[in-house]
Amino acid sequence: MDFDFTKEQLMFKQELIRFAKKEIVPRVQEHDLKGEFDFESFKKLGEFGILGLHFPEELGGGGADVITTVLAGEALGEAGVDGGLTLAYGAHTFLCADTIFRHGTEAQKQKFIPKLSSGEWIGCMGLTEPDAGSDVASMTTTAEKKGDKYLLNGNKMFITNGPIADVAVVYAKTQPELQHAGISAFVVEKGTKGFSAGPPLIKMGVRTSHTSELIFQNCEIPEENLLGKEGEGFLMAMQTVEWDRSALLAPFVGSATYLLKKCAQYAKGRVQFGRPIGQFQATKHKLAEIRIFGEAARSLVYRIAWCKDQGRPLNHLEAAVAKLYVGDWSMAPTFDAVLIHGGYGYCHEYDVERIFRDSRLAPIGGGTSDIQKMIISKLM
Amino acid sequence: MNFDFTQHEQKLFKEINDIMLEMAGEKYLEEKDPVNAGKTVREALIRLANSSYLKLGIVKDEEIPGLCVMMGAMEIVSSFSQSLYLSIEMSTRLFGRIISTFGNEEQKKKWLSPVLCGKKLGAVALSEKTMNIDNDQMETTGVRESALIKISGAKNYVINGPVADFTAVAGIMENKPALFIFEKGSIGLIPGEHLVTMGYDGLFISGLTLDECRINESDVIGPFEDKSAFDTLRMWENQIIIGGSLGMMKASFESAKIFAKTHKTGGKPIIAYQEVAFKLAEMLTLFQTSQLFAYRAAWAADAKSRESDILTYCAKVFCTEAAETVSGSALRILSGEGYISGNAAERAYRCAKYGQIAGTSTEIARVKIGNAALGA
Repeated sequence: MDFDFTKEQLMFKQELIRFAKKEIVPRVQEHDLKGEFDFESFKKLGEFGILGLHFPEELGGGGADVITTVLAGEALGEAGVDGGLTLAYGAHTFLCADTIFRHGTEAQKQKFIPKLSSGEWIGCMGLTEPDAGSDVASMTTTAEKKGDKYLLNGNKMFITNGPIADVAVVYAKTQPELQHAGISAFVVEKGTKGFSAGPPLIKMGVRTSHTSELIFQNCEIPEENLLGKEGEGFLMAMQTVEWDRSALLAPFVGSATYLLKKCAQYAKGRVQFGRPIGQFQATKHKLAEIRIFGEAARSLVYRIAWCKDQGRPLNHLEAAVAKLYVGDWSMAPTFDAVLIHGGYGYCHEYDVERIFRDSRLAPIGGGTSDIQKMIISKLM
Repeated sequence: MNFDFTQHEQKLFKEINDIMLEMAGEKYLEEKDPVNAGKTVREALIRLANSSYLKLGIVKDEEIPGLCVMMGAMEIVSSFSQSLYLSIEMSTRLFGRIISTFGNEEQKKKWLSPVLCGKKLGAVALSEKTMNIDNDQMETTGVRESALIKISGAKNYVINGPVADFTAVAGIMENKPALFIFEKGSIGLIPGEHLVTMGYDGLFISGLTLDECRINESDVIGPFEDKSAFDTLRMWENQIIIGGSLGMMKASFESAKIFAKTHKTGGKPIIAYQEVAFKLAEMLTLFQTSQLFAYRAAWAADAKSRESDILTYCAKVFCTEAAETVSGSALRILSGEGYISGNAAERAYRCAKYGQIAGTSTEIARVKIGNAALGA
């Protein structure tokens, strides 16, 4: 076994942390307060090469391996980038662009990947519906073939980047009677007739990512926008799980490091009863809990990444274990961080309040903790 | 990065598992009777010496894998019997490592070789009445008396204490930390009564009184310039406890899983009920997370990473507390069956508490982790 990163990977991480601290983090609190997406930061992520990091260079990507790609997520969290922006990046790169990259035709790749890699276009994925969350097979959005077009009808819900996306990978049933096997995936471009997005939902956390409903009313999709073949949609959606359990979890690992530094800094400066609160054992214990979570989560996340780099099929049990651990256990450190900051921690000025809210999504998004428990118990 | 054990390493795991499986098939490994328990430990040592288990972490050789493998192998032995495991580990991974790391060639020949062959049993006496060598000065002291060293003091909670062939006693000599090595039967070395403990039914634990014991200077390791040697001992002890915790979780989880799949209620196996299935999922999550944590901390120690100590403290806290949680959850799944003495989960639950107290206690470990965060 070997848990080391290469020198290049570590240098890249440090470079990204420096970049994010300088170019992104200063605007995080303002955007979170306003509930606004930070287009400038997103664009800068594209310029730095993060949005297409693992795509081939000829498609505008960076040709990075999976571990480096996951490390980028950790670096963003460690720099103090908010959960909203990292979620927007995850939905854009891994749920939308990567699906097109994996399953698209050469023409589709050439058309979409370079612009998604650069951040010129923003992507999203439409899978969840108002009445179909983890139970994907119960989706009701349909795609009916009409000549050389598909007619999409239905609604998608809780779609990250929904209101701002230029490109959406949308799942719909082409043969509803086949359940999972009847689901197909389509690329839907902004401005397509019959396609609209609802207003941004007001959320507890990750407020800089815009989330909305997507509405399809007799939306005409040219047949060349079908991804792969009809009926392959469910498998495509499931393949995003590899990224979901690695790259999308990585910011939580980085965020733990960020919290630890923030809390330690505060605890050293905040004096009560004549001494810095960091000198009290109870505070040290809280700092320890934050560190322990981060270290425990790190190995789980990179195990998924390393296996993907080895070309192994996803081990669904290990993936669910990673998601369950990060999802459920990531909340307590954020609570500890708020407690260390006391009254200040309850105020927006100190960003532990935002991180506390952002982390509430961890056991919900990408498959709830209960779904992970179902998966684990079925596979054991 | 590499998250796999090699084929060679997996072969070693199988060898160790087969040895333990064979022993477990022949006798009860948590024998409370001291005479029988002593025989069992010595038999296990001899059998395990046929593999490279006893050399892991001690012998530096291309053929002997590193600390990650040591951790994986520890998990296997501990999953069969926590008492046997701790007895073996105190002999090899603590006593053996002391001699291997700090001893001279003559001392190695005298004490290490027989321990690694499984022919002799070692013990280490660290704790005193306060149980804490971090905050309090040790009272066990060695004084020169012509060509001999006279040692006086008292030690608590010495594993293998009454039956060990060799005992390394931590103390102070010339105001510096030192280790005094005694052979069984040394005059003035008086083992206390066998302590009855919450867990570890088949383990010998006793106090040890040193009543003006005299040893040759060649039987002293040290004195050391500072207490870092004792800190190292604590780290080794922590590694042992971490490995033991993995074994407890493995045994508890497997026991509960098998029960959940075979025990029926309401016409279906209880794993079909979400309250049971989800509990198992949480247990497995803690177990797998603990495994990776333990391996990573061991890897860091092997790589002499500057983060090694802190990662070991983190892993120690996580794994020992997870062991209690996992074995506790197993008991709830096993219900009445788990409450009966001798069940793997019941045994692990009782043993798990020790892990949080022994070595660097989880409370002290948290303070140290916090100090590191504060740069203190």
